[in-house]
Amino acid sequence: MRPLTFRKLFFQCLLLAVILFFVVILALKFGAVPVSLYALGRDLLRVLLGQSSQISSDYGLIIQNIRFPRILLAIIVGASLSVAGTSFQALLRNPLADPYVLGVSYGAAVTAVLGLVAEPHLALPPALAALFTPLCAFIGAVATITAVYFLGRRQGQIESNTLLLGGVITGYFLSAIIVFLLSTVNSSNTRGMVFWLMGNLSTSFQKSVYWFLAAGFLVATGVIYASANDLNILLSGEKEAMHLGVDVRRVRFVVYVAASLLTGLAVSVSGAIGYVGLIVPHIIRLIFGSDHRTLLPTSALGGAIAMVIADTLARIVVAPNELPVGAVTAVVGAPLFIYLLRRRLA
Amino acid sequence: MKKLLPRLHLAAFAVLAVLSCAAAPSHAQSATHPSTEPPAFREVVDETGRSVRIPQTVRRIVSLAPNLTETVYALGLQDRLVGDTDYCNYPPDALKKTKVGGGTNPSLEVIASLHPDLVLATKSFNRRETAQSLDKLGIATYATDPHSVADILSSIRTLADVLGAPEAGASVAEGMHRRLDELQHHIHDAPPKRVLFVVWTEPLISTGQQTFLADALRHAGAVSIVNSSQDWPQVNLEEVAKLQPDFLVFAEAQPGDASREVEKLATLPGWKILHAIRDRRYAVISDAVNRPAPRIVSAIEDLARQLHPNAFSEKPADTKKETEKENPLSRAPSFAPLLLNPPRSPHGHPSPAGGCLCGR
Amino acid sequence: MSPGRSSAAPRAPLESTRVGTEVRLAVEQVSYAYSANPSQAPLFTLEATSFQARPGEIVAILGPNASGKSTLMQLIAGVLSPLSGRILLNGFVIHSLSPRTRAQRIAMVQQESRLLFPARVWEFVMQGRHAHGRSLRFESHTDMQIVQDALLHVSASHLSDRLMDQISGGEKQRVILARALAQQPLLLLLDEPTLHLDIAAQVGLLDALRRLSARYRYTVIVVTHELNLAAEYADQVLLMQSGRCLRVGPPAAIYQRELLEQVFQIPLRVEMRGHGRPRVTILADS
Repeated sequence: MRPLTFRKLFFQCLLLAVILFFVVILALKFGAVPVSLYALGRDLLRVLLGQSSQISSDYGLIIQNIRFPRILLAIIVGASLSVAGTSFQALLRNPLADPYVLGVSYGAAVTAVLGLVAEPHLALPPALAALFTPLCAFIGAVATITAVYFLGRRQGQIESNTLLLGGVITGYFLSAIIVFLLSTVNSSNTRGMVFWLMGNLSTSFQKSVYWFLAAGFLVATGVIYASANDLNILLSGEKEAMHLGVDVRRVRFVVYVAASLLTGLAVSVSGAIGYVGLIVPHIIRLIFGSDHRTLLPTSALGGAIAMVIADTLARIVVAPNELPVGAVTAVVGAPLFIYLLRRRLA
Repeated sequence: MKKLLPRLHLAAFAVLAVLSCAAAPSHAQSATHPSTEPPAFREVVDETGRSVRIPQTVRRIVSLAPNLTETVYALGLQDRLVGDTDYCNYPPDALKKTKVGGGTNPSLEVIASLHPDLVLATKSFNRRETAQSLDKLGIATYATDPHSVADILSSIRTLADVLGAPEAGASVAEGMHRRLDELQHHIHDAPPKRVLFVVWTEPLISTGQQTFLADALRHAGAVSIVNSSQDWPQVNLEEVAKLQPDFLVFAEAQPGDASREVEKLATLPGWKILHAIRDRRYAVISDAVNRPAPRIVSAIEDLARQLHPNAFSEKPADTKKETEKENPLSRAPSFAPLLLNPPRSPHGHPSPAGGCLCGR
Repeated sequence: MSPGRSSAAPRAPLESTRVGTEVRLAVEQVSYAYSANPSQAPLFTLEATSFQARPGEIVAILGPNASGKSTLMQLIAGVLSPLSGRILLNGFVIHSLSPRTRAQRIAMVQQESRLLFPARVWEFVMQGRHAHGRSLRFESHTDMQIVQDALLHVSASHLSDRLMDQISGGEKQRVILARALAQQPLLLLLDEPTLHLDIAAQVGLLDALRRLSARYRYTVIVVTHELNLAAEYADQVLLMQSGRCLRVGPPAAIYQRELLEQVFQIPLRVEMRGHGRPRVTILADS
């Protein structure tokens, strides 16, 4: 009988954080522009000492303005998708749940396409114009979250199966709308939208966006983590959870909203990158167990690691061109998922 | 036996004589009834390798691509055009033709109801399945597939031949050729500018080296920094930042699209480090450059003037008239007539005095 | 369980010292109605029912299927809210308590447990501690002690590190009981706990309940249709039929042949035995 202690949790997270650190170093090294580890270390030191203005080389600017923000985005998006996936698997009591199962990504895509069509007709200041597509996508995500919530309610509270059905049906409906929109929109826009839908981490954002994403991630994950023990018990069954003192109604609502917001944030800046939110929780469970007090932070770190690796591969495999990162996660993720599935059945 | 052989010869000869006499009247008979004769057809091989059976006289044409519609008008054959797509908007008269739908999924029923002699298609805009379905309906489809500016010229000539107007084809092609030659004359000794042609920004998509777009860039005195055999590769921004192109090139559908896009990009840290963004060095051309049609020459000329402003010394009025005639939907004039050698649409070239010749 | 105990040994008569005097659970004129469709007539109703239970007491809710037993149980557990009347636990209306507070006082033992991901036995029993202390916390020493004790009481200590899906049905039932004990409740509710158990296990379970209720002053409420088990172990029996509580009282008062035959629709014979507990024999023929 070995219960979870803070020490154990800390070291598990530390292990993954160290792995993430090394993965980030490698990701910083590889890319269209070669970087030596020495130069990297020296520039990192400069940044830490507040002397970033001394990074004069063009290469340094590239790392600072393009490569590093991209890796940061990969970390946040990967962590968000993993936490959302873990939460939905617990909420829906379904190991096949992923962050997109409730149709949030389709909702974000619909409003993103609409925003794309509308943008030339709106006179937006440039700084806002750069944010317009992610903002539209996020609004679509929130609208879908709300709609599916009302569809998934039964006698005033969320019920897993109804929620799942409501989400899947909403997803089908919205994806039909996307196909319709894409077929009526200008041809060069269509090409671009399709690439966006496949998921990519290459978009450059202003600094404030990264802060906002990080803050959003921490708040939403914090909220979910506060219910980590409740989620553990919820997995035994809703009725039992209620008898054991879990306020099922409140926990369901809170986790649903927080996990959906995480998904919405991720999708609005990176399109729909699949498999990470589905598989990373499973792999982490195999290694660290299903206790959500451990599972949530370790999934977040695991998702960050997976996404940085996937994005680095997307960047270097067909250099100087890029693959859509969604293609990389699919190629690696699908066989991995089949393996996990067979393992469970065996 | 000796006597029999000559007699057999005679008999055979007689039979043959009788038979040929019997045949002759029927031949004479058909010569006096020309209405029973079917119209003449030609077998040609189109640019995708398909064998097409085309009537000698093509009186009714349906175009399934905007560039082919423009070409038909340029050849002066617009009266024979009975249908085109929703996207065929140039020249304005093309908007009045019967619409058959989009390029990927035109309505086969509408096309059939127009009874065309020939349907024109192009590989990059239409689908093979559409051509095959039209074949099954007994409607001939001729497809083009140009990959370079030279291809566009020869494609126009061949198409004119197919449509039965070879002189018009020769004239248009020669006109285009002459203008391109003149252009080369102006810019041949200036080193080509290194450019990035921006198709899309999120994610960054450009054009590969084997599209006619890349060839058009070469004719305009530019070379794309993207070295890819894919048609529309997704390009890594780091690579662009490493190569630092001299200019960014945008093709805009509406006036102002490109400048808005550039202002937007100038606020983003990843793009700010491009010198071309920082100095607002970008060229804008009409999206006619996406259509392999006669207007592409104007787009090439326009681009060349923006990239190599110093290579041109003729009066602004002539060229302005010519290009505005071809681009009636374009933007308002944007420079004061007092300036010598003004570029057609200036975008902040830093002048020696340090100011900016911004036109809009 | 104590396998050495022979069923022939005489049991003590109803001990008034085992059962406390103050009223812990008061069910006052509680009724309920359930209809799938608001416009239709209710599919099921529970008519006004009242009874009281004391610390250390074992109450059996007895009746055939669809008699309203489970509904009454859910009302007591606070899951359902009564249409009229109220249920008080130590003076507090149960339904108005928060789920957490309820779980500190009332523990439910259900038949089967569907686990989505594998869990160890001790982790399962630890779930019973959730209602005590903050929701997000690490298990304290006290918690671990209580879990160990609970497993000890149900004689399942040797199963502590096994996985839940690797133990037998009977063992699972004991572990579920251990979880309920870990909640340190005032009220222990069991819904048909003997359904999947063999006879030895059934007796073992009820013996344990009697022992524990005596020692820890639990009020135990058992829903069952097993006539003889209820007769043997219950201090109080509620006889239910078609949503109505026909009679409340000690087994000797409830087990009348005509009454039971009317409720259970089967010929039987009732004998009163020496220690005041009746025994029912089902008559196979006629």
